[in-house]
Amino acid sequence: MKKTAGTQEYIRPQDSAFDKKTDNLVSLFFLVLIILAFLPVLLVIMAAFSSEESVAVYGYRFIPKEFSLEAFRYMFSSGSTLPSSFMNSVFITAVGTLLGLAVMCPCSYALSRKEFRHRSALMIFLMIPMLFSGGLVSSYMVNTQILHLRNSYWALILPGLCSTWYLMLLRNYFITSVPDSLIESAKLDGASAYGTFLRVVLPICRPVVMTVAVFQIFAYWNSWYPALLYIDTNHTEKYPLQYVLVNIERSIQAMSRDAQYLSGMTGYTAPSVTLRMAMVVIAIAPIMILFPFFRKFLKTGLTVGAVKG
Amino acid sequence: MLKQNRKESRQLGIMTLPAVIWYCLFSYLPLFGVLFAFKDFTPVPGRSLVYNLLVKSPWAGLRNFSYLFRNPQSRAVLANTLFYNIIFLIAGIVIPVFLAVLLAEIHRKFFSGLVQMALVLPYFLSWVIVGYCVYGFLATDQGQINMLLRAAGKEAVQWYQSPQYWRLILILVGIWKSCGYSLIIYLCAITAIDRTLYEGAVIDGAGFAQRVRYITLPQLQPTIATIFILSIGSLLSSDFGLFYQVPMDSGALQEVTQTLDVYVYKALMQQANFSYSSAAAFLQSAVGCILLISSNLIIRRIDRESSMI
Repeated sequence: MKKTAGTQEYIRPQDSAFDKKTDNLVSLFFLVLIILAFLPVLLVIMAAFSSEESVAVYGYRFIPKEFSLEAFRYMFSSGSTLPSSFMNSVFITAVGTLLGLAVMCPCSYALSRKEFRHRSALMIFLMIPMLFSGGLVSSYMVNTQILHLRNSYWALILPGLCSTWYLMLLRNYFITSVPDSLIESAKLDGASAYGTFLRVVLPICRPVVMTVAVFQIFAYWNSWYPALLYIDTNHTEKYPLQYVLVNIERSIQAMSRDAQYLSGMTGYTAPSVTLRMAMVVIAIAPIMILFPFFRKFLKTGLTVGAVKG
Repeated sequence: MLKQNRKESRQLGIMTLPAVIWYCLFSYLPLFGVLFAFKDFTPVPGRSLVYNLLVKSPWAGLRNFSYLFRNPQSRAVLANTLFYNIIFLIAGIVIPVFLAVLLAEIHRKFFSGLVQMALVLPYFLSWVIVGYCVYGFLATDQGQINMLLRAAGKEAVQWYQSPQYWRLILILVGIWKSCGYSLIIYLCAITAIDRTLYEGAVIDGAGFAQRVRYITLPQLQPTIATIFILSIGSLLSSDFGLFYQVPMDSGALQEVTQTLDVYVYKALMQQANFSYSSAAAFLQSAVGCILLISSNLIIRRIDRESSMI
């Protein structure tokens, strides 16, 4: 077992190789880079706050010709599907994250204990799916024909519940951060394995549990592929926010493709130009708001990609 | 005492049960679905999946696979997948390492944090949102780029109908989304390097380039190797969202945007062609597994410390 490099403590080099001038130049380079990287997101946000007419005339602009909250006002008015799809996303994210933690944490605790006899067998059991998977077709067939998940919320929650990466991250943290003596003394006090885990181990390991929670929150909030596969058009009330956005995007495409046929038709119901950008902003907003708070947990979790088993 | 241990082991075993059940249902059950790839699957309505697959469908041998390699469309798809993945494999290591080496030497810590935050943000946006961000630039009527082109007196471009630009666009978008995350992984690895190595090098009169060449890069080697092994394991897999959602599933772009994952999805959902799509999925999985294990073996032969398993 090799341990990952100690990344908990973020040590900054005091003695940089750059002199003042080079440092300023490199800083300028990064400044340009972050502006470039942020531009696409900024464009969407600005478009959402533009008025419909100004977008129609001047297009999407970084500085809107005319500010307007019309799109947001419309979105929260009655008859809009946004509030219900937003709540669907919140529900899926909350249930998926909590259930996933409830399944993964006890398992990885058992994996971290020497007392557990089958732990090397279980490790191999968990590693095989990382190397080889049945692929989309067979999991689709299993989920729809054997587990009958089609058109249910479970189809959006269950397939992403566990991941061997997170199990290993949790296990490694349990091994390195929980002193054996603590568990021994809990045992001497007569605590069962469950009690030790709940009252002793979990409180100590809150950082890593939060890290996995953060990654799962982002993953569930951003997921749309399961909805594309498992929720059909007769069940639009179950669409998560991201999938509603997919559908709007398709209708834009259909509209531009069939423009000549549709030109004479009225009553086309695709959301207007700014409205769809406003919905994107609603989908980004929770991530942007939570992002700074999550930052310290991300540092623990970024080693997820570099965990060695 | 022995009885005590057995009891604890059993309790720990019970704690792993939910995860084991999940893995059986969602990882191991679909493994049997690889049979789809070797069968001519012809579902009989009203009968169970197991009956249809095992009893009803005749064996096809390797016919499904030879079709994949003979059919010009699926050959183009394979070529696309390899093309994009090889570029992402190289760019996904070179660019983040380059940026991390520079960023590690920046004097202003706050600014360095800001750069990391800004560059990693796209990683946490869904492909749907990224699709809209790209749309903000490339939309035919309101897109930022066509606005600029018109302002410069040039002809506007129908971006979503012009395949010649899309290889570059997809590569840029892919790098934009994933670069920040790898950057932070490498940065963590760099800051974990023993500073006394650098101090010694400075005394010996090494400049910045020499320090990078002889200290930073060799010390980063295990991290780079890990990421290389992981990405080569997914050589035939691609981000479904990047190739399906960002080009908005536009038919005109198919020849340059269709990768194996999109092909599998379309064969399954739009043509209900289970055998070809599962043959393609099997190919992905098998090639990935072989490449992962063999690259790990080769790296282990060269440098034991850098290998994963």
